[in-house]
Amino acid sequence: MMPPVGLLELSSSLLNNPIFIAATVIVMIPVGLFLATIYGFLFRKLSARFQWRMGPLIRVNKDLAPLIGSTRIWQPLYDVLKLFGKDNLTPASARKAVFSVSPYIAFACAAVALFFIPFPGLTLLSNVQDSLVIVVYLLISAAAFTVLGASAAGSPWSSIGARREIELFMVYEIGLVVSLFAVAFTTQQTTIWGIVTSPLLPMLILNPFAAALLFLVMLGKLAIKPLDIAEAECEIVAGPYTEYSGRNLGLFQLTKLFLMYDLITLFLAVFIAPIFQSLVWIPLYVVGAVVLLFLLTVVQVLHPRYKISTGLATYGAIIIVVSILAIIVAAALYYYGAGAPIITG
Amino acid sequence: MTVGIDPNTLEWLKKEVVPEGTDFKPLRENRVYIRVKPQDVDKLAERFVKKLGVRLIHASGVDLAQFGFDIFYIYDFTNLKDKLVVVLEARLDKDNPTIPSIGKLTWQAAWPEREMHEFLGVNFEGSVDNRHQFLPYEWPNETESGVALGQAVEANPNNPAPTAAGWRPVGINPKNALASLIPIGPYHPGVIEGQTVYIRLEGEHVVDADIKTGYHHRGIHRLIERRGYNRGVYAAERICGICSAHHGIAFVTCVENLYDAEVPERALYLRTLLAELNRIHSHVLWIGVAADILGWKTGFMITWGLREKVMDIIEAITGNRVNYGIWRVGGMSRDISQELANAALKTVGPLKENLLKLLPPVAEHPVIKSRLINVGPLDYATAVDTGAVGPVARASNWKIDTRATNPPHAMYDPKKISWEIKYNDHRDIYGRLLVRVQELFVSIDIVAQCLEYLSKTTGEIRNTPKMIEPGSEAVGLNEAPRGELCYYMRAGGSELPSYMVPPGKTNVQGSNLPQCVRIRTPSYRNNAVLPYMLIGSALADVPIIMGSIDQCQACTDRVEIVNDKTESSYTMSWGDLVRMSQKKWRDQ
Repeated sequence: MMPPVGLLELSSSLLNNPIFIAATVIVMIPVGLFLATIYGFLFRKLSARFQWRMGPLIRVNKDLAPLIGSTRIWQPLYDVLKLFGKDNLTPASARKAVFSVSPYIAFACAAVALFFIPFPGLTLLSNVQDSLVIVVYLLISAAAFTVLGASAAGSPWSSIGARREIELFMVYEIGLVVSLFAVAFTTQQTTIWGIVTSPLLPMLILNPFAAALLFLVMLGKLAIKPLDIAEAECEIVAGPYTEYSGRNLGLFQLTKLFLMYDLITLFLAVFIAPIFQSLVWIPLYVVGAVVLLFLLTVVQVLHPRYKISTGLATYGAIIIVVSILAIIVAAALYYYGAGAPIITG
Repeated sequence: MTVGIDPNTLEWLKKEVVPEGTDFKPLRENRVYIRVKPQDVDKLAERFVKKLGVRLIHASGVDLAQFGFDIFYIYDFTNLKDKLVVVLEARLDKDNPTIPSIGKLTWQAAWPEREMHEFLGVNFEGSVDNRHQFLPYEWPNETESGVALGQAVEANPNNPAPTAAGWRPVGINPKNALASLIPIGPYHPGVIEGQTVYIRLEGEHVVDADIKTGYHHRGIHRLIERRGYNRGVYAAERICGICSAHHGIAFVTCVENLYDAEVPERALYLRTLLAELNRIHSHVLWIGVAADILGWKTGFMITWGLREKVMDIIEAITGNRVNYGIWRVGGMSRDISQELANAALKTVGPLKENLLKLLPPVAEHPVIKSRLINVGPLDYATAVDTGAVGPVARASNWKIDTRATNPPHAMYDPKKISWEIKYNDHRDIYGRLLVRVQELFVSIDIVAQCLEYLSKTTGEIRNTPKMIEPGSEAVGLNEAPRGELCYYMRAGGSELPSYMVPPGKTNVQGSNLPQCVRIRTPSYRNNAVLPYMLIGSALADVPIIMGSIDQCQACTDRVEIVNDKTESSYTMSWGDLVRMSQKKWRDQ
């Protein structure tokens, strides 16, 4: 696919200019927060509509507006801000250092990952050597520090939640690595910008199994039902987050919002790469993100929660089968399809 | 309606069943009162339960001040004789209130004995379980209760050896329970009301379980005793917000059995209509709660949305959503117009269609099946021995339904209303789900038939009650959504000095207050069965097993529920409430 030519087309020299990159990274912080909030809002709104509820209001009626503002689109952010104003409690039984530092590191990982994932038309840090591997590391670390903080809480609920999270973690992180590896293998690129600028057709068409795999991973990583086993509130209160309150809990919620942005953008960057080559494709990026959110919501509202045993068995089996298919397709594309006109744009 | 006891049955009881009985008094509706000696109680229980297969409905006691205690056992003989209920009563000495325990024969009696032990101070010889039922374990102090907080946990739960009857009582020693690894409750997202389920885990597997209730106990028996028959029904209704109609019917049935009551047919239909509407909304609510426990918010929202349609019908008929306040001794207080009956009939059809669209796919959902099948197992023998009732028992292949065997004063006559008992052999939570879903549709059919009748006829809805003779006793049974509900009442009265007695009259003065009221709710039974289902399950299954019996803690402890979820913080006076209710009726 030819990159569109126009005013918005940024020259490669500008894209590689360190000052420009630094500026875009700084701009990306509020933009990322904005988009993460919007995604959080859409997820809530869509779930609510499926469940015969109103959800957060887009336009608050006149009577209520002076009290709660004219819109509640920013509800996910308000929730976090409210938590920031609450008491930050640490249980006496907790290992205090690990318990209180973990939310910051988890949040930092999810937030920094945002810079290594490109935005339509903006490289950010995604052309850094091996940026794909860095992103994988950061996404894994965000989950790992959640578990670490929970296991330092000294509460039975947290420990059970942490153990369940670890068990799921083993499954979905394998899926994450395999899915991205399959794409990297076909394109022979380990930087995300390299994948974006690769001349091949979008990977969603070439290797749909890898795309499906990443979608399955998103279900686990974002704790979408039926895989919110670690946070099963009726069984183990709030799982890993049981003992967290105030700012620490707010940071975890923010981590989740950023993870949602990271994963959705990563999915689009890797599997519908061409739309990341120019700012003009932003509408397509939005459409892609909404479609992904819609699919996530559908899965969320249609399912009750799995038990950990059946959940792991079912989810593990599906992930393994899809992983194998994704690798086979990737290998086939690499050995037999390379250079063939059918796969290049 | 009133049926005296069949003379042959009385003879049969005297000769063959209870030859030890010293006093036989037929009560209304084929119920018999038999006085026995305290030492014969366990022998009789063994004969009844083990040989005749009779079910114990409830056991309780009355404190008669200086006269001692009356301990009574209500047995359900409906498997042998039509509608026969036997009340065995033994008088205990005040100085030495000791009676043989029947809890060692059958688990059904374990909870009532614990309750009598802690509230009346009655000692049960050979009792297997003497822990507090409602009071905190460590009450009144560590020395007397033998329980100290913070003691070291023993490696094994202190379960007693199997009893002579061959069953092992479940339960964790209080010392261990207080230090148990996972206390689910008193406040926990999986349960709405206060209770504690102690579970001991190995990995994710439950190896030991116990339940502690008593967080709601406010003594409603006494409240009703002091309010009398006519005002007591409002208190009875408020025992449970979800099955208030069934408490109302059971209460008035019990009072009507204290005298020769005649209830107009239209009132019977009205009672059935409301009871079944109540059952529909209760079961729909349960499906929603179960979905929520399984983490399926969509199911919760949609079922509760449909439940509102039922609540609308109830509100149109009674003016209230939860506590209807229309139950009267001898009939009902409000009639339903033919137009309203027709209008309600029109909404029942679409409701059934909507539920048919929703519920069968829910029952077939693969994740729901994986969560419910073979979870919370309860086989027939355990169900019978532990005294499970309602959908829990019916899902264990036990065809038990008080509406059929010992109906309340409502219209469940199979000649006039066609309905059937739904039961199955799944013996797990999935079976309980199916029973409730099927029952719900049966209830909708009953509602349609009642509305059909009410829309075509008119008539009286209440007869004036008669005087209640002092000392008369009655049992009122009803099938609530959660299972069999039992009310026992004994009319109050006092002896007059002989110089005050007119010639030709008895010296007993009647009273408008009952001497005693005893209530056995279905959750009281099913909660006792709970530990049997929990042991051997996974931690993830614990909330849904607890949910599967449709727990009602308020019922178990028998209290008034006070909902304080008011958003604004001003207090309404009685006058405000009266004005509000008047305004509501003016506006309509």
